Parts: sequence; C-alpha cells; structure tokens
Amino acid sequence: MTDGLARILSKPTYESEQFVAKLSANGEDALLEMKSKIHMLNDETAQALKKNVFKNYSQFIETAREISILEGEMYQLSHMLSDQKSEMTKMMELSLVSDRAIIQGLKGEEEEKTNPEEENRRNLAFLLEKVEGCSSVVDAPGRQLVHDGDLVELDAETHAQIQRVHAFLLNDSLMIATWIPHRRGPMRYRFQGLYELDGLAVVNVRDTGPVKNGFKILNFPESHMYQTDTAKAKRQWLDALEDTKKKKALRDKQKKEAAMRLAEQQLQAALASPGEADLSKSFTDDKEESVDRDYLSADWLQELPEDLDMYIAQRNFEGAVDLVEKGYDYLTDCPKGPALKEFKARIEHRVKQLTDGLMNELQVSPERSLRGGPRAARRAVTQLIRLGKSAQACELFLRNRSAIIKYNIRQLKFEGATTLYIRCLCGVFYSSLSDTAKEFIKAFPGHYGCYSAFVIWAKQELQSFVSIFKRQVFESKASLSTIADCVLLARGHCQELSTIGLDIEFCLDALLDISIQNVIEETKDQLIEGIKYRAHDDVWRPMNHLTQADCDKYIADVATTGYDLTPYIFDKCFIAITMNSIQFSKVIVTFAEDLLKLHSSEQEDSSADVITTVFKAQITHIEHSLQSEQLKKEHVLILKNAQFLLEVVMDKIKTLYTKYNVPFPVKLQHLSSHYRKLKASK
Amino acid sequence: MSKAKTQQPAVIHKVIMVGSGGVGKSALTLQFMYDEFVEDYEPTKADSYRKKVVLDGEEVQIDILDTAGQEDYAAIRDNYFRSGEGFLCVFSIKEQESFQATQDFREQILRVKNDENIPFLLVGNMVDLADQRQVSVEEATKRAQEWKVSYVETSAKTRANVDKVFYDLLRYIGKYKLTPAGRKALSQNATNSSNHPETTGCSCVAM
Ligand SMILES: Nc1nc2c(ncn2[C@@H]2O[C@H](COP(=O)(O)OP(=O)(O)OP(=O)(O)O)[C@@H](O)[C@H]2O)c(=O)[nH]1
Ligand SMILES: [Mg+2]
Repeated sequence: MTDGLARILSKPTYESEQFVAKLSANGEDALLEMKSKIHMLNDETAQALKKNVFKNYSQFIETAREISILEGEMYQLSHMLSDQKSEMTKMMELSLVSDRAIIQGLKGEEEEKTNPEEENRRNLAFLLEKVEGCSSVVDAPGRQLVHDGDLVELDAETHAQIQRVHAFLLNDSLMIATWIPHRRGPMRYRFQGLYELDGLAVVNVRDTGPVKNGFKILNFPESHMYQTDTAKAKRQWLDALEDTKKKKALRDKQKKEAAMRLAEQQLQAALASPGEADLSKSFTDDKEESVDRDYLSADWLQELPEDLDMYIAQRNFEGAVDLVEKGYDYLTDCPKGPALKEFKARIEHRVKQLTDGLMNELQVSPERSLRGGPRAARRAVTQLIRLGKSAQACELFLRNRSAIIKYNIRQLKFEGATTLYIRCLCGVFYSSLSDTAKEFIKAFPGHYGCYSAFVIWAKQELQSFVSIFKRQVFESKASLSTIADCVLLARGHCQELSTIGLDIEFCLDALLDISIQNVIEETKDQLIEGIKYRAHDDVWRPMNHLTQADCDKYIADVATTGYDLTPYIFDKCFIAITMNSIQFSKVIVTFAEDLLKLHSSEQEDSSADVITTVFKAQITHIEHSLQSEQLKKEHVLILKNAQFLLEVVMDKIKTLYTKYNVPFPVKLQHLSSHYRKLKASK
Repeated sequence: MSKAKTQQPAVIHKVIMVGSGGVGKSALTLQFMYDEFVEDYEPTKADSYRKKVVLDGEEVQIDILDTAGQEDYAAIRDNYFRSGEGFLCVFSIKEQESFQATQDFREQILRVKNDENIPFLLVGNMVDLADQRQVSVEEATKRAQEWKVSYVETSAKTRANVDKVFYDLLRYIGKYKLTPAGRKALSQNATNSSNHPETTGCSCVAM
C-alpha cells in the first residue's frame, strides 16, 4: 500500500499541488488516511536509511580492513623483493670469476689501507665455501683477495695438461686450489698450496709452440706452469701478480724500516732484553685432523650451511636459528681441529648474514610502514636474542618504537582546544609507552641488562613528549587553569604507568618544573597588576541591585561559586560586598585551585608564597583605604569586605587545600588572622 | 682449452739470458727465435721461449728464459737462475759498466748452481758498434779465461755469431748433462714440476 504511494511520490512527473488538490477533493477521511500512510512511509524510509547506512558502514569497515591487510602484504612483498635483490648481488660478489676483484686489485694503495679489517674478512670468508681446507689461509689478518680465476696446470717440461685449478691471488700470497670433479654443492676446490709472493718468480711463456697463454710460477724447488683461456686473462694475471708483488715489497720495506726504528729506540733506551724466539706451531697433527673430519661428515651437518642459506633466503628466521642452535650443539662435542675451525667459520659467516637480516627487520626506514605495532618486531627480537644479540635487538627494538611513537604523534591533528589536543597526545604517547613496556617485558624475559636500556629509553621519549607538550601548553598563552588541567592529565597517565612498574612521574615533574614556575610567576604578576588597577578607582560602593528580585538573582548566581552573600544584604537590594571584592574572591580561589592542581611536593612552599603575595596585595588596598581621609565614611563597609575576604574567602581556600589533601600553609593562616588586627586598629 | 701436442723432442735444454739492462739479451733472443732485430728498447720482466733445433743431427728443444737486467730482488733472481742449465752472460762492448756487472752475475750463478763447470758463455754484444767500444777483446778474453769459459762477440743487429752462442751453449749443456758431475748438479737443482706442495710442503707458507 505504501509502496504505491512511494511510487507516486517518486515519479518524476509528480506535482505536489495537483496531488494535494486531488486528495483534498475526497474529503477529510481520505486525507487522514493519506496522513497515516505518509507517516508510515516516513518511518519505513527512516528505517531503510538506517539499515543502508549500517550495511554500508560494515562494508566500509571491511574494505578498510582489507586495504590495510593489502598494504601490509604489498610492503612484505616489496621487502622480500629487495631482500632477494640483495641476496642476488651478494651471490654475484661471491662468484669466483668476479670482475670486482680485478678492479679492486688495481686500485690505489690508499684505498687498500682505508679498507676496514672487517671488509677483508668478508672478502675472504667466501673462500671457505669454495675451497676445502683453506681456513688457515682465510684466518690471516689483513689478507685480501686481489684476483682469481680458473687455470689449467701444465707440465712445465712437456707442457702436457695436468689438471684444472683455480688460483687466488691474495695481497701477500698466491693460493692454488685443485678442482674437485663431480662434487655436489659449493665446495668445488681443494687447497693445494700457498706461495708467498716474496720469492715467487713469474715467467711469461711466449706463444712459441702449440701451447698458448701460458705463464710459469717458479718457487724453488717447484715450478708450475699454468694456462689461461685468453690472452687477456693471461695479461691480467701477469699484471696483477707484478702489481701485487710490488705493493707487498713496499709494505714489507716500510714494516722493516718501522721495525728498525723501533729496535733503535729500544736500544737507545738500553732496555733491550733478549727476545724469546717465537716458536709458532708450524705443522698440524694429522691424526687429530682426521678425527674432527669424521665427526663433521654427518650428512645433515654437511648440508647445514646450504640449508641455512635457504632459510635465510626464505626469511624463515625461526628455522634458521633452530638450525644454528642445533649445529652449535652438535659441534660442542666435536674434537678440536682445523676442520672444525673451518666449518665453524662457515656457520659464523651465515650467522652474521642472519643477524643482519633480522636487524634489518627492526630497522626503521622511511619506506617501511610502521603499522606493525610492537608485536611485529617481537619475532625478529626473539630470534636475535637466541643468537645472543640481545643488546643489538634491544637497541633496535626501542629505536623502532621511538619511530612509531613519533609517527603516531605526527598523525594527531592540532585543532580545537588545547586540553583536547593534550588529551589525545597523552593518550597516544602513554599508550605507546605502556604497550612498549609490556611488549618489552615479553620480548626480553629475564634480560635484566636490557631493562635499564628501556628505562633510559622511556626517559628520552618522555623528554621529547614533554617538549611537544610544552610547546602546545606553555607557549600557546593558555590560561593557568588550562595548563593545570593539561599537567594533571599527563600526571594521571604517569600514575597509570606506575601500575606496570614504570615510574616516570618524578621525571615529568622535573621536566615541567621550570615552565610551571614561570607561568605561576607570570600569572601572579598579572593578578597583582589587576588588583592594583582596580584599587586605583575603587570608591567602596556597596552593590546596588535596585530591586530585591535582581538582588536575589545575583545572590543565587554567586552562590553557585560557593559564596553565601546573604549576610551582607541590606536595604533589600544592597550588598555590602563591593564588585571589586567579589571579583577578587573569584580570582583568588581559581588561582589557588590551579596551584593546588599543579601541586607537587617540590612546589608546596612557593604556592603558599604566591597566594599570600596576591592576597596581601588586596589587603594592602584595604589598609590604604582605611587610612584614607576621603573614605572615612566607608570604614564599616571596608571592614565588612575585609572580613569577607579574610574569613569567608580564606575559609574557602582552606577547604580547597583540604580537598587536594595539602596541609593549609602557615603563611595563609597568619594572613587570615589579619582581620582581627584591622578591626582592632580602628 | 687447447690441446697441447706432446710429441715434442724428449730433450729440453734450458738456457738463461743474464746481464745488465739494455745490453741486448732480448734482442739476441728474438734474433735467434724469429730472425728479426727489434730497435725499440722495452725492458724485460721474464719471458720464456721454446724452439725446436737440430743440434749435430739430433732434434732438441731449447727453452730460453730471458730475464730482466733490472730485477731488484735477489731472491727472485735466484729462483730464475735455479731453473737454468746453461747461461749466456751478456754485456755490451760499448758499456764498461755492463762488463763489470758480469762478475756479479757469474758469482750469483755459481752460488745458486753450486758448480764451476756449469755451461756458461761470456757474450760481448753490439759488436756492430765497435767504434764505440769501451771493453777490449783482451780484457773480456782474460776474464773468460779466468772463469774457464769461452768469450764470443755478437751483434743482435747483424746476427753475427747469434746462432753460434746458442748452439755452442746447447752443446756444452748436452755434454755437461752426460758427465756425472753435471747430472748431479742438475738433478739437485732441477726444478721439478711434479713436485706438488702437498708432497714437498716445505715451501708452502705455514700459517
Ligand atoms: N746496434 C745494436 N743495438 C742493439 C744490439 N742489441 C741490442 N740493441 C739495442 O739495445 C736496446 C736494448 O736491447 P734489449 O735487447 O732490449 O736489452 P736487454 O738486455 O733485453 O735489456 P733488459 O730487458 O732491460 O734487461 C734495444 O734498443 C736494442 O735495439 C746490437 O747488437 N746492436
Ligand atoms: Mg730484455
């Protein structure tokens, strides 16, 4: 029935006047019926509208949620892609025939010197992956890879091929590794020999016979001949060898000179004591070596480095750390030997990669979404702790949290009243802080060393919070009441935090103290200024409300602020308290209340002081008025006002002190007894 | 990888060119190898050449190691010298200093090879520039006699006596290798390519 009506009403050709004319022609009943119909239609429409809004609303919420999930996934995806990219470049760097090494080799001496030790280690760490038995080579400090490449070893006499080798030119020596055929995995070479560059003689074998691109390495009593694929490769080898030998010789010369200088100095100091010969162990125990080799030959252990690579690439950090722990567990029982050392170095190399990856998770970067919240970081933190990197984890975790807090605060729009903004600011800051605290306790259980870092962090965060707070509250010229409310808000949050064991209220007070003192001083000065101004043209007239009704209305009005003026009414519409006194009574009470709100134990004395000073300013006005000849007639009125201020108003202040649980200061007590003195003096 | 043909003459004689920088070691070598004279002077580092020659009806291989006159490191020069079986000690007849330097080369070779009878030829090069001669035939011959070696004057430019010095030395080497003393000296010092570090080890850097 209403459907029909709805159709008529929503027709494009609908003309309200025609419709009403037609309708009214049918008499009152039809009209009434129509009215109820329209009512129903109205209700239905409202209902439908509500439903629609709700339906769309839930859809809206759902869509928003999906968008945020999608955003998260996109972020993850981009992260994974960038990870893969870096993984790929890393692999390129590991590639044996990398061009980088050559360029590096030809770089200036300066460059080489500035390279940090760590870089060198990393430079050589990959050798462990490729060359079996080369850990002693990699361990030498300061050693660097200059050039490397595939070569064919030839018989120096007959020039017959012997085997494929891979040569690594290091900055102080040449390492030759033989190729292991049919070997699964990255281990493709076995260490063959390491030659110091000092005595190494290089011979360029000219292409005179059937053998092309050959060169010889003479190191008595050995002589080896090698062949490269191309003339260019041979040229590179010869150049690199010569260059490196020269640099090494130069280094050695400098070292020797330095040593000689040192020796001379020592001699001069006549402190030369016969140095003990350095008996370094020059050979390894073969038996021992075979024992640890056996121990390491377990299948899963041999595959562990590769499995680790896989887990890291897949960002399966838990799996990777599980594997590392398992590996280390197993290795603790392994007999010590060079093979173990080498294997450990291989794992450590990956642990470093893993650590870097995990740290990267916690790194704050502009392109990364910060929506994750503290729980998102926990995964990385947990794994880092398992790897024994709790300090780094702690630092990164907190830095991450700082960024989130900063981000959340920046999201706040500053509009409307100061108090409103501060309410939001406090809400964001303190909830982040308490979230972090709770998460921190969960993420670093038992790592008490990290807790102090957290406390320091919390203090720093509080400092930056306070600086925002100050800017908004103190620099915006807000009234003391507003300021007091804001400070109360912040303090309240601090107290909530102390329930979870984080007490930073004293820090907040310390940080705000000076600003609060300043604003109190300012307010005090303003108030005194006002008192003096009003005192100047105070003629001590009672308030005249003209009619009793108006007077009563005023009395009722004032009663809402807590003062009963009834005892001061006379002649029905007069009040013995002057406008000035009333105004002061309001001002001083507000001031006192603000001060009490701001009260913290350190400020107690000064709050009493400022109230007293302001109060005294008014009293001084009264005293002056009493002494004035012109106002002699008004003495009674003035004394009444004095009584009102010093007894009634002071009483009110006293109840405020009680309300805020602060002992009523002695100074104010003294002041209140002043009235008796005034009365007596007359 | 190019396949090396291995059906080479079994006998290889290893000759080393020694002498000061710029005296014509490379010029002599290249003249002997390729019958050409190179005007430009490019200091050598260490080049080796191989050539098949017929020596008194027998095919042998000559392996020439042309060394640097200006090698700074004695230890490295030792390593080169150790691999030689015969030496052409070259000086320039127009440069007295280069003649004096032959004394040092001789001493170093004897120290390394540890045999006075090591095949050795004193070569006075650049005889085409006899007008600039600073070293007389007499003093050179006298020194050769002291050392109990032959003295030959050559010109890398005109090819005078170039083949002679190489062939003479090859003959000495051939003979020397047949004597018990020579066998001993060469086997002591001979570089051995089958000596891999894992078996000898002593020259590896022990870390
Ligand atoms: N006129 C003339 N010039 C010669 C002769 N031998 C060499 N030269 C020139 O002397 C210069 C040096 O000759 P090299 O053969 O390169 O000298 P080197 O002994 O190999 O010198 P390093 O490789 O530095 O030890 C070159 O310019 C040659 O052309 C010669 O017999 N006669
Ligand atoms: Mg030369």
